[in-house]
Amino acid sequence: MIVKLKVNGETRSADVPPETTLLKLLREHLNLTGAKLGCDVGDCGTCTVIVDGESVNSCLMLAGRASGREVTTIEGLASSEQLHPLQEKFEELGALQCGFCGPGMIISAKALLDKNPEPTVFEVKDALSGNLCRCTGYTKIIEAILDAGRIMSTAEAKS
Amino acid sequence: MATKTKEVLESKVKDSEIEDLTAPDSLKVPAKPALKPVVVPVDKPVVYPLDLPESEIRLRTPAVGQRASRPDGRLHGLGQTQYIDDMTFPHMIFAKILRSEHAHAKILSIDTSEAEAMPGVLATLTGSEIPVNSFGPTLQDQPVLANEIVRHAGDGVAAVAALTEQQASDALTKIKVKYKPLPTVFDPLEAIKDDAPKVHAPRSNIYASKIIKKGDVEKALKESDQVFHKQFKTQMVEHVPLEPHSSVAMWDANGRVTIYSSLGRITLGRDDLARTLGKPMNKIRLVGTIVGGNFGGKNEITTEPILAMLSKKTGRPVKGTFTRGDEFISSTTRHPFVMDYTTGVKKDGQILGRKIRLVLDGGSYCSWTSTTLGKGGILAAGPYNIANLLVEAHAVYTNKTTTGAMRGFGAPQVCFAYESHMDDMAHALGIDPLEMRLRNAFTEGSVSPTGQLLQSVAIKESLQQAAERFGWKESAK
Amino acid sequence: MKKRGRGIACMWYPIGFTVAANPSAATVKINTDGTATLLTGTVETGQGALTVLGQIAAETLGIATDDVHVVSADTDATPMDTGAIASRTTYVTGNAIIKAAEQAREILFEAAAPMLSVKPEQLEAHDRKIQVIGFPQQYKTIGEVAHHSEIVIGRPAIGSGSYNPPTVEMDPETGQGKPFSTYVYATQIADVEVDDETGEVEVLRIVAIHDCGTPINPMLVEGQIQGGISMGIGFALQEEILFKDGKQVNPNLTNYIMPTSLDMPELEVDMVDNYDPTGPFGAKGAGEPTAVPTAAAIMNAIYDAVGVRITSLPATSEKVLSAILEQKAA
Repeated sequence: MIVKLKVNGETRSADVPPETTLLKLLREHLNLTGAKLGCDVGDCGTCTVIVDGESVNSCLMLAGRASGREVTTIEGLASSEQLHPLQEKFEELGALQCGFCGPGMIISAKALLDKNPEPTVFEVKDALSGNLCRCTGYTKIIEAILDAGRIMSTAEAKS
Repeated sequence: MATKTKEVLESKVKDSEIEDLTAPDSLKVPAKPALKPVVVPVDKPVVYPLDLPESEIRLRTPAVGQRASRPDGRLHGLGQTQYIDDMTFPHMIFAKILRSEHAHAKILSIDTSEAEAMPGVLATLTGSEIPVNSFGPTLQDQPVLANEIVRHAGDGVAAVAALTEQQASDALTKIKVKYKPLPTVFDPLEAIKDDAPKVHAPRSNIYASKIIKKGDVEKALKESDQVFHKQFKTQMVEHVPLEPHSSVAMWDANGRVTIYSSLGRITLGRDDLARTLGKPMNKIRLVGTIVGGNFGGKNEITTEPILAMLSKKTGRPVKGTFTRGDEFISSTTRHPFVMDYTTGVKKDGQILGRKIRLVLDGGSYCSWTSTTLGKGGILAAGPYNIANLLVEAHAVYTNKTTTGAMRGFGAPQVCFAYESHMDDMAHALGIDPLEMRLRNAFTEGSVSPTGQLLQSVAIKESLQQAAERFGWKESAK
Repeated sequence: MKKRGRGIACMWYPIGFTVAANPSAATVKINTDGTATLLTGTVETGQGALTVLGQIAAETLGIATDDVHVVSADTDATPMDTGAIASRTTYVTGNAIIKAAEQAREILFEAAAPMLSVKPEQLEAHDRKIQVIGFPQQYKTIGEVAHHSEIVIGRPAIGSGSYNPPTVEMDPETGQGKPFSTYVYATQIADVEVDDETGEVEVLRIVAIHDCGTPINPMLVEGQIQGGISMGIGFALQEEILFKDGKQVNPNLTNYIMPTSLDMPELEVDMVDNYDPTGPFGAKGAGEPTAVPTAAAIMNAIYDAVGVRITSLPATSEKVLSAILEQKAA
């Protein structure tokens, strides 16, 4: 089955067995290993990507269902000039430890901040509730997201 | 020019000597059509900045005390950190492991023939093929793949290597194992009894014990104004590292095996591999990466010898990654503790003597139990000056998931007990819980339960500072 | 009705293995521009070990964190290390690194001494310079000295060392001995709200004050405390592997409940001001102690709130409610 979709702004296609998940398509066929396989059943959130503006557990979505749609993965956030404010703040505040939950966390945060750049602490916690982290206790992750949000809304206001 | 060469160059070949070199029609190659320009698909690389200024904090001296950002922090945020499962090698295949559903059984036979005939399957492996089929940091009582007896539901019994993970998983269902169930024991308080079914027959289920004895605890209890007793219990929990265990094994023509692994201890990992594979250490290369969470569960080998053997059999790199289910049933867990505390105190809250009995659910194999027993036993009395002490700790085999190293090695369990116990006593004596602790806590030079003179002690400082920051006095009811 | 309670718990925890040898070895190579490479057999398991170990090497050499590149976890290329376990990395591997870095630094001092017309013992490494103790305006940059040592004199600045904590065997009958070289201490205080109609416990706030000796990187220690507390909350209130006839009932993340972002309380974490002379620059460790006192603090807070003593973990809402009802009936 040929799946053709836009990933990080670029049209990509692959010929995959019909039972292939979007996660496996990204990791094994498109060489985008940022999204992780933590449980494969939608419990841990390490596979989170954005599909048509909504954050999604890519292990629960069949690749075929993503055909023709726009997917954003962690690999699509930085430019050749700079990191995304989330990536900048996560690094500066030491928000990630082992990093395995990182791509999923940052993507969930991006999906939130793109819609709501000045969330409350509760709104951030709620947006992250599907992303498990065992190392950090979520504390610095939440601080980094709030900081990144401030940068993004200031940039938004300026432009 | 040499004479002979000149002669040859100047000689003329007679016409009749030249063979007709024109190709016959049947061999003529038709003229090629004009070439169309070929469109080569361009796979755009992932974009990221290459020239970011380095963090100012990382450039400061002195280095100690700086809130320096981690170099892997940037790579984590970009999704560029290479965990084992992100790695691929040419011609790499995948292994999966069949696990016992029985908690205790004799293996009568293992038939892998049907699995071997499944599409994509390149090899299978059973424990009898592993040169030394046992490992363990203290007791080597755990098989790499069980081939005689399974001792918990989750014990690995056979492995398959196939072209895809799905094919390997499918082939597992075709492996036929015949079991003869054996009597089981699950409760450590049952397993400790003499007549309980033996998990590692003929050995006793009590496989490790520790005693700490100081002063005269019975006398101290008799002299106490009040004696308190309670039993506390904790549950089995799992590390849940977000990254499942994963390794890749491959060989070279010099008989060297290279293994990339999520192990947290590669020196010991190499020792274990040398032992199980029967190879000298310099023929083994073990490479760790940034592990996606350990917490104690990635401190001993799991699939590495299996992958090495499958790689040897198939001549290809073999990757094996635990499913999340494997993580729960087959990697190690935290020891459930049953803790009996008896403490004698004076009216003013000073502890005179303490008696503790710990029974650890030691699971099906030893793993890091001896260490947990030792640490748990030493820490069990708490950070308090107790001149008269008796701690008896035992680890008991049960037919459940292997209990091993997990963040704290017994400390969270005993702390739950001794601090709950402390509050019980404080309330009964009408003393503020903070005060009760300050009256008994270690200071610099205090003597530990094992007779050690303690230095760099900061327990009272942590109590006082925490109380101040919290507003302990202000929030009193 | 929701009832508020506060609970305190303190703990002690050792650094390193119980009595048994658990050495670490390290190699430090100084490049001819004064930057350096550290080779360590330890594995980065997320706690930030490589960053901290790099800082320790940098401090010994008088250079910045970013000047040290850390290479780890390859049995072909890095020296042995007992591993990232038992909260030993900062202390044991850190001490090994200081020895290795000092050995490399000594080669620099021996090269710099004639350049500065002093004896090697008169020199110190500070702010990327090799300078005279007490007269710092007399110095050469570390790059100049490293270059001179390797390229001119022919002595590359490389050093290696190992460390094992000193212990004393425990007596088999009495357990008396010195099983660890050093310990850390901590207190956590929990502020909880218990719903006495459902048994649900909500942790509102935790104050955690931890001793780790000198915090080599305070940001990373905070991360360890916050992460440890989240594990402690799971241990206290949620997590449990359930068995039926020896088979796990919930071997998945749907039914094995562990803390999400919504379960995290307000956290105030800090370190006690302490210095352990046996540790690298006074440091001890932080990895495991952070997960130790949380459950006890929460259980004591539950008692303060509703007067019930939970004696088995986890304190699920069913257990807490059942204890409350039992107490009301009594």
